[in-house]
Amino acid sequence: MTIYSLYIFDRHCTCVYYQDWHRSKRPRPASSGGILPGVSNAISGLSDTQGGQRSSITPSGGTVVAVGNGELDWPDTAGSMSALSFDEEVKLVYGIILSLKQMVKKMAVKDDTLVNYRTSTYKLHLYETMTGYRFVILTDPHAESLRFALRQLYTGPFLDYVVRNPLMVMDSKEQGIDNELFRAATDRFIRGLSMYN
Amino acid sequence: MAIYALWVINKAGGLVYQRNFTADGLAPLSSNDALVLAGTLHGIHAITAKLSPTGSSSGCQVIEAETFKLHILLTATGTKFVLLTSPAELQAQADSVLRRVYEAYADGVMKNPFQTPEMPIRSEGFDARVGAIVKPA
Repeated sequence: MTIYSLYIFDRHCTCVYYQDWHRSKRPRPASSGGILPGVSNAISGLSDTQGGQRSSITPSGGTVVAVGNGELDWPDTAGSMSALSFDEEVKLVYGIILSLKQMVKKMAVKDDTLVNYRTSTYKLHLYETMTGYRFVILTDPHAESLRFALRQLYTGPFLDYVVRNPLMVMDSKEQGIDNELFRAATDRFIRGLSMYN
Repeated sequence: MAIYALWVINKAGGLVYQRNFTADGLAPLSSNDALVLAGTLHGIHAITAKLSPTGSSSGCQVIEAETFKLHILLTATGTKFVLLTSPAELQAQADSVLRRVYEAYADGVMKNPFQTPEMPIRSEGFDARVGAIVKPA
């Protein structure tokens, strides 16, 4: 029972946040300009131009990512890179969600939306808020529906550290919602779920 | 615990067989709508295989909405059998229905010398066998 990754999309159909835990195929760094700044230090291809090298430790499995001179240094872990760059992957995730929601809407009698789908190696759960934010989480295929967990993530860490944070620019088209408190809180929350590990 | 419909999609993504078992449960689809949805599902199935966070994956096997569930069996030849059921349907039950439909397909459709492969299926024998599988008398 593991949790692989979390994506948050806003109502402009862009990814504003990403975090992962146990993913064995590392996401390939995005081509520069492909994703917004402030989504995740781990996959941003942008260098830190404000002088000084900065290294940030991502909470997932202790990988150390040094963002300095525009090159990302992945340690030689057992996992290989996935074939898609991160911005392509994010577009595919969003496209799948959108197509499946349209399909479900067409086929159902009453108002209905996608809850989750499962393949042989992962399960993708979706929770959508009234304001158009879409929380997407990928887990192992045997997990129960995590919709409740995504809802708790929304009402807990998201409302506290993003919505109520006066420094966070939500709904902008140029900025993600990555911040340390939110990242730490979601990490704690996800690790605290009974199905993590 | 009900089965709403069955679709068979060929390896190019075209709908070759569509059968509804109950009048309610799902919104009525015109045959054009059904063709479009089958093509969309074919594409979605291909992309879900690529998004796996851990290496190679099959395409999606179960898609769950609030009022129905979609089970997909992908055969070795690329044909997809799609079963639309109520949300309470058990995984094992749906899988067994799909397997038996696949057997009926192998017998009634593939072995039929008058059936052009990948073309729409018009076979009374196949219809009868599918009816017997879904609604055992």
